[in-house]
Amino acid sequence: MLIKLAWRNLWRNKLRTSIMLSAMVFGLMGVVAMMGFMTGMYGNMIENAIAWQTSDLQVHNRKYVDNPDLKLIIQSPDRITDALAEIPEMKAWSARFLVDGMVASARSSRGIRINGVDSYDEARVTPLASKLVEGNWLTNEGRHPVLVSQKTADRLRLRLGSKVVLTFSNIDKDVTGAAFRVTGIFTTPSTGFDDGNLYVRRGDLMKLAGIEGVHEIAIVLNTTNSKIGSLFSNELALQVKAKLETANTYKLNSIRDWQEIQPMLATIISQIGVSNAIVLGIFMLAMGFGIINIMLMSVFERTREFGVLMAVGMQKHKVFTLIILEAGLLGVTGGILGVCGAWTLVTILQVTGIELGAMAEGVGALGVDTTLYPQVSAGEYFLTLVTVVAVSLFAALYPARQILKLSPVDAMAEKH
Amino acid sequence: MSIQTTQLCKIYNQDTDFPVHAVKALDLKIEQGEFVAVMGPSGSGKTTLLNMIGGIDEPTSGKVVIDGNDIFELSDKDLIAFRRDNIGFIFQDYSLLPVLTALENVEFVMQLQGHSEAECRARATELLHRVGLGGHLHKVPSKLSGGQQQRVAVARALAPRPRFVMADEPTANLDAANTSELLDIMQQLNENEGTTFIFSTHDPRVIKRARRVIVFEDGQLTEDKSQGQVQ
Repeated sequence: MLIKLAWRNLWRNKLRTSIMLSAMVFGLMGVVAMMGFMTGMYGNMIENAIAWQTSDLQVHNRKYVDNPDLKLIIQSPDRITDALAEIPEMKAWSARFLVDGMVASARSSRGIRINGVDSYDEARVTPLASKLVEGNWLTNEGRHPVLVSQKTADRLRLRLGSKVVLTFSNIDKDVTGAAFRVTGIFTTPSTGFDDGNLYVRRGDLMKLAGIEGVHEIAIVLNTTNSKIGSLFSNELALQVKAKLETANTYKLNSIRDWQEIQPMLATIISQIGVSNAIVLGIFMLAMGFGIINIMLMSVFERTREFGVLMAVGMQKHKVFTLIILEAGLLGVTGGILGVCGAWTLVTILQVTGIELGAMAEGVGALGVDTTLYPQVSAGEYFLTLVTVVAVSLFAALYPARQILKLSPVDAMAEKH
Repeated sequence: MSIQTTQLCKIYNQDTDFPVHAVKALDLKIEQGEFVAVMGPSGSGKTTLLNMIGGIDEPTSGKVVIDGNDIFELSDKDLIAFRRDNIGFIFQDYSLLPVLTALENVEFVMQLQGHSEAECRARATELLHRVGLGGHLHKVPSKLSGGQQQRVAVARALAPRPRFVMADEPTANLDAANTSELLDIMQQLNENEGTTFIFSTHDPRVIKRARRVIVFEDGQLTEDKSQGQVQ
């Protein structure tokens, strides 16, 4: 009977309750979409960073991490690659020869990292081969092919077939270089990465450098997918890292997971919860005051009625329960409707995406795609619902307490 | 079974310069089965007296003894339970829950006693039939006339089988026909079930039906007359 009474009391003033519920529903849709947008953006940033830059794990010469010198190649790379072949979670790996140098066209020149890669292996590790905006991926045919980013091409006024000169210091610290021909132009989600990287065949680069070997082995694991839970976790990378360490003789090489390579990503992950909590907290605070207002009006205009209930024998704890139930039902109704509305909105946005339009250049610097897809986990929907109900219950405590302080006759004397 | 007050006092605004003595040192005894009208002008203390002997307003001093127990010695929880089981209230403005139907309003107080749903439904239906509202069980108060609402209030007051019913000016908002019908109903219940009715009123139609009339002025009992004396 109490639940029935509370539910009917809630709808005693239909307009007021409807307005409050609408505020809760639209507010929750906005908040959840905002949280989804933030999580989606951070997730996309991490996903892109792993896919295009860090991979799940990277192996370097231990000294190379602090001082990227040409001669600091990976020690016994075969032991590492043999060990990788034994690891079932391993999807692909690419051994890279890395050099910092200059790229020059007839118009301009600029500093750049030259990535010497095996075309087959690299195509399995990064999406580069399938994301060329012009031209073709590196092949074993032709003399000195080079892939440059769209940004570099624009700056140096290059197009397919243009000739560039790559120069850098070789193993003897002498300046060396060669002419390369642009066979492909790529673009990645990160403008920073595009600005500072180009790709050539590893064999071509090693010849010019006068040293054999690799500076980096990038490893991609099988679990890299769009599921938010695994995306934000480096657990598997750490497990594989532990297995690889056995092949890391005398610990001469450094094996790092993506969070170690880019500590900013780990910071972002820890930041997601905080930023979402702040957004949710601000909304809940505003909603809480709204509910307090509604409950104060609803309860105080019925003070006499509560007095009558106490007079006819309703125990105070039941009066308290009745008021709390009214607020709880408001919270549950608003929360369920709001979460359903938010789920619908997020589901639609997950299909259509959110075009960042004018912000694209700015988010490109963060390595974020220009179209974002919000991500909200079931746990976040549940947390939002629970928080709404909890805030609603909390908001009813003050009016309930005020009523309970009154004796039946005092409550009945109130004129509202 | 009786209600007895001893030196019962109620002073409002006691700590101010203008205390109001609503009830002054009242000694009164009302036996079970009586049909009593407390009459007097507005502000004479009738309602305050009913509230105190009904256990919803605490006296400044004095005692209200029912069944040999001072009800204001009971804990808050026990006093509420005592009221629930022994005292029914009928208010001038009916004070029904507007969101519940007539039937649910009557059932509600029985449910507070812990009766089963079936028991509540049976008794509430029976009482509403007895007060002539058998055809209005599922109507909310706003769909009933004032007289009908007051009859629901009577049924609600009687549903928990109380020994005493406090009726605070129950006919104040009713016309002559409804007043007469309501008084008939209450008189029958008093005679058939032995329920004690205590009215506060200045309605001569109620006073005429009362078997005992207590006259109250300035918080003091000035007359206490039986049926014959009233006539």
